Amino acid sequence: MKGARGRVHIALMLGATVALGFAFLVYLLYAANLIAFPYDYDQGEGFELHDSVLFSRFQLPYRDTEIYPFYASNYPPLFHIIAAPFVWLFGPAHWYGRLLGFLASLVSACAIAYAVYRDGGRHRWIAPLSGLAFLSSNFVYHIGPLYRQHTMMVTFETLAMVALAASFPRRDRRGVAIALLLLIAAGYTKQLAAISAAAAFAWMFLRAPLRAIRWLLAFAAVGIVIFLWLNLASGGQWWLQAIVANVNAFIPEQATGLFVLWFKLHGLLLLPAALLLTCELYVDRLSLYGIWFVFSAILGGLASGAWGAGDSYFVTSIAAACILSGIFLSRLLAMDFRLPRSIGKAPLPSLALVIVPLLYLGYARATLKLPTDGPFAPLAAALGVEANTRENFYDSASFLVGGYARIGYFLSDADWAAGAEIVRLIDASAGPVLSEEAGFTIAAGRDVVTNPTQLRNLHLAGQFEGAQLIDMIKRGDFAIVILRAQFYPPPVLEAIGANYKLSRTIHMNGFDYSILYPVALKGS
Amino acid sequence: MPLTTLWAMDGHERAITKRQLGVFLALVGACGFVAILLIDVIDVGRQGGVGPAQRLALGLMAALAIIGLTLIPSGDAPA
Repeated sequence: MKGARGRVHIALMLGATVALGFAFLVYLLYAANLIAFPYDYDQGEGFELHDSVLFSRFQLPYRDTEIYPFYASNYPPLFHIIAAPFVWLFGPAHWYGRLLGFLASLVSACAIAYAVYRDGGRHRWIAPLSGLAFLSSNFVYHIGPLYRQHTMMVTFETLAMVALAASFPRRDRRGVAIALLLLIAAGYTKQLAAISAAAAFAWMFLRAPLRAIRWLLAFAAVGIVIFLWLNLASGGQWWLQAIVANVNAFIPEQATGLFVLWFKLHGLLLLPAALLLTCELYVDRLSLYGIWFVFSAILGGLASGAWGAGDSYFVTSIAAACILSGIFLSRLLAMDFRLPRSIGKAPLPSLALVIVPLLYLGYARATLKLPTDGPFAPLAAALGVEANTRENFYDSASFLVGGYARIGYFLSDADWAAGAEIVRLIDASAGPVLSEEAGFTIAAGRDVVTNPTQLRNLHLAGQFEGAQLIDMIKRGDFAIVILRAQFYPPPVLEAIGANYKLSRTIHMNGFDYSILYPVALKGS
Repeated sequence: MPLTTLWAMDGHERAITKRQLGVFLALVGACGFVAILLIDVIDVGRQGGVGPAQRLALGLMAALAIIGLTLIPSGDAPA
C-alpha cells in the first residue's frame, strides 16, 4: 500500500486504534476502580458471591425459600463454582468474581480478534480493532467487571463458536466435541446461552443435517444428565428456582427501547455485519457467525424485554457483530468477496481504505464514555462532552432507556464511606439482618437472608407464601431492614411497612439505601 | 432411525440448499404470522386487540416469510 491514499489509510487506522485504545484504557480504569470496592455495585452481585460461598462449602444454592434464611439462587452453577476456590483462599469478597468477569471479557475480545484474523483473510490490523470494538461497547463495559455470570457465559459462547466454525466443516470430532462442551459450559453459566446453542445446531444442520442430529443427541444427553442431577441433588429446587422463577413478564417498551439503543451505539458495526450476512445469504454460504448474529440479536434482544433483563442480553450479539463486521471489513480491504463482476469493478478498495477506519472511528465516538473530572476533565472539554449520567461521568447511551444498567461511573471515597457506615450499623446490631443487597451482610459476617427478586418472581409464579418470613418481620426478629429497590413481594413489603420504621437513608453508588428498625425500637 | 444408519449415510450427506431454506423460512413466517393473528380469535377473553408484543412478532414473521420467498429462486446452491 503506497502513495497518498496509503498514508491517509494508515493515519486513519492509527486514529481508530488510538480511539478504541482510549476506550480500553477507560475500561481498565473502571475495572480497577470497581474490583477494589468491597460492597455491591450492581444489584445482585452479593447474591452471586453468596452462591460461590455455598458452593465452596459443597452446598447447592437451590433451596426452599419458605424456611430461614429464605434464600435461593436462580442462576446455573458454573461461574460460582469457578469462583469457589477463591472463597477457600481469600474468604468471601467481591474482587475475585469481578476480576474473573473482567478477564473473561478480555478472553472474548482475544477470541473475536483471532476469529477475524483466521476467517477474514489474516488482516493484522482489523483483527485487534474488532477485539477492541467489543470492549468499547457500552453494554460490555457495564457488565464486564461485575461479580455476575453473564460475561463468562459470553466468553464460553464465543470460544465455542470460534472453535466450531473451524472444526465442523473439517469433520474434526475432537474440535466439535470441545466446542459443544464449551456451549454446555455456557448454558450452565447462564440459561440465555440456549440461544447460541440453537444457532450452532441450526448452522450445523444447514451444513450436514445427519451429522448435526448425531451431535445434537450427544449434546442433549450430556445437558440433560447434568440437569437431572442438579434437580435430584436439590430435591427439585433446581427446576423451581432456576427455571420456573425465571419466567418474567415481557415489557415491550423495554425491548424496543433497548433495540433502538443497541442500534444507535453499535450501528456502524451492525451495518457491515448485516452486509456480510446478506452476501452470505444470497451469494455465498451462511457462516456460523452470521446465524449466531441473527439468533442472538433477535432472540437475545426480545429476551432483554423481560422484567429484570437489560442491555447485557445484547452482549452476545455484539460479539457476533464484531466478528462479522471484522471479517467483512478485512475482506473489503482485500476485495476478497464472491460478488457479481459489476460490483467487483467498482472502486471499492480505494474507498475502503478510508471507509473502514472511519467506521471504527465513528464507532469509538458512538460508544464513548469517560469520567468528566480529574485528569479526564481537559479531554472531556476537548471532546465537547459533559457529565450526563452522574455529576462526573459521560455515557453516550445516557441513562434514559428502561433496562439500560445505570452503572459505569467510577466509585468515590463517599461511596466507600457509605458502604462502611451501613456495615457499621449492622455490626452494632444484634440479630439477623434483612438486606436487599447481600454485600453488606457478607462484609459484616452475618447470614445472607432472602434474595428479594427471587422471592418476587416465585410470588408471581404462585410458588412463595412466605409465612415464616412474614412472621419474623411481624415479631421484629430482624435487627435491621435495608431496602434499596423494594423488590420484595408485596406481602413482605406490607409487613415491613407495618412493623419497621425508617431511621435514615444512606446514599451509595447513586442509590438510596433505607435503613429501618423495628417499630418497637422507634428512635434508634 | 438408528444411529448406525445415520453414520452409514454420512458419506453421502448433502447440505441444505438455499431453496429448501427459503421454503422453510417462508412457511415458518407465514404460519407464524397467521398463528399470532389467531391469538386474539382463540383467546376471546383478551382485550385491546393486537398489542405491542404481537406487533413485534408479526413484523418478525413477515420479514422471515419475505426473506424465505426471495431465497427460493436461488435453487440448489448450498445454504
